[in-house]
Amino acid sequence: MINTTEYEQLIARYLNGELSKEDEAELIRWVSEKPENKTLFLEVKDTWDASSKNGAREMEQLLQFYRKQASHKQNSRFPGWVSGIAAAAVLVVGLVIGSLFQNNYFGEQSQVESFSVPMGSRSQLTLADGTVVNLNSDSHLKLCKNFSVQNRQVTLTGEGYFEVTADKKHPFTVKTDKFDVQVTGTKFNVSSYPNDKKINATLTEGQIQLFTKHNKTFKLKPGEKISFNQQTMEPVLEQADMESEVAWVNGKFIFNEIPFSDLIRRLERWYDVKLIYKGSEFDSMVYSGKFLNQETIWQVLDALVLTSPIDYRKNNFREFELLYKPK
Amino acid sequence: MSSFDDIFKKYHTPLFLYARKFVDDEDVILDLVQDVFALFWEKKKFRFEEEHVKAYLFNSVRNACLNFLKHEKVVRKHQENRSSVLQEMDIQYYGSGEKSLIEKENLEKIYQAIDSLSDIHKEIIELSRFEGLKNKEIAERLNIPIRTVETRLFRALSSLREKLSKNTFHIFLNICHLPAG
Repeated sequence: MINTTEYEQLIARYLNGELSKEDEAELIRWVSEKPENKTLFLEVKDTWDASSKNGAREMEQLLQFYRKQASHKQNSRFPGWVSGIAAAAVLVVGLVIGSLFQNNYFGEQSQVESFSVPMGSRSQLTLADGTVVNLNSDSHLKLCKNFSVQNRQVTLTGEGYFEVTADKKHPFTVKTDKFDVQVTGTKFNVSSYPNDKKINATLTEGQIQLFTKHNKTFKLKPGEKISFNQQTMEPVLEQADMESEVAWVNGKFIFNEIPFSDLIRRLERWYDVKLIYKGSEFDSMVYSGKFLNQETIWQVLDALVLTSPIDYRKNNFREFELLYKPK
Repeated sequence: MSSFDDIFKKYHTPLFLYARKFVDDEDVILDLVQDVFALFWEKKKFRFEEEHVKAYLFNSVRNACLNFLKHEKVVRKHQENRSSVLQEMDIQYYGSGEKSLIEKENLEKIYQAIDSLSDIHKEIIELSRFEGLKNKEIAERLNIPIRTVETRLFRALSSLREKLSKNTFHIFLNICHLPAG
């Protein structure tokens, strides 16, 4: 049996001091002795927990972050929307979103011309000619001045899946840093992130023409994918695995034999996290995988740990470090 | 009906403090709370009544914490830095529907109650909770024995608890005294 002062001190030590093993045993014994003791302990601890001022840090910054996340998550949730409602209505939504992010990311004075999707989000919009564009995480789409049914030119950084309204007389052009894609009415995917090793275009339906900045022209048939090494611009034409190429449009994360560095970059964009790794052991690793159910970043990292010689630890808010660890 | 921003501003800190009951790592807590808010946004729960929103958020955060703790145990086999018996007790207590002060009161009220404590109780709460000093550091700062700090901290917390439960009672009385009809 211990006296009042003793258990009071034990609880205070537990909350805010150095509790020895003996102290802890003593406290547990006292708490388990009577229900009243347990209640008193829990109530005092509850008061302790409630009186902290610590949680208010970085409130504004956090709110900004959530806003970004939330508005885009919400926006990406409407796959069935577009078909159901007149394109005009969707266009309005597109315009509103466009202007929102124009203010945040570009700050331009002109009329709505740019759309931006932050990391961790995906977005869909309909252009004035009826073309539907899905934008993947961390992507920007800029419309040419006076974009209209007659004048269809856009500039893309990042990844977009285009369903272009057919119009033989007025070709639709997607410009990227390294190549332009010209079509008259097709479905295709373009991925051109500045930091990726490879950039590519994949055709689902119809026909596209691709012009590189080195004046080379390529024609793609449905199901084909052309990739370029970003540095050398060396082309590789292949039959694409369509499922994995455009899975992101439906909120799935599928990848097929991609280098570790590209996987990491895709995960960073998809989840809006920072993934750090050092060492050359990772360079030779190649990954294929499917995440279909909006797994959390924790689950994805756990899957990496289970399947490859990797371990991870959390360093900071939304920042993880990957470690090479042979099994 | 409140906007997402209002709800976020109102509940982010309380939820953070609530999660701290169960999980130690503050970065993890920020992530967990964020996921709860993201889902909350997607489901448009903020269109519901305030009381439901509140209960939903606190329950979601608690569940997220419990899932995280399970995950920790499986993947990391981590060494406990808190007594698991005492931690389990907390988890059971709030899992059984018991509401914490953080959920019952708003933060403003809690700070006001701290402000109304006697000077020496107020001082020890401020040193430990606002400035984050450990008992030993407080003893050095105030030049008193560490055991005195412990006793004083316990009494300050009890007194704060009493004030807060009185306050709640007060509101209750006020409601009762509203003119009928």
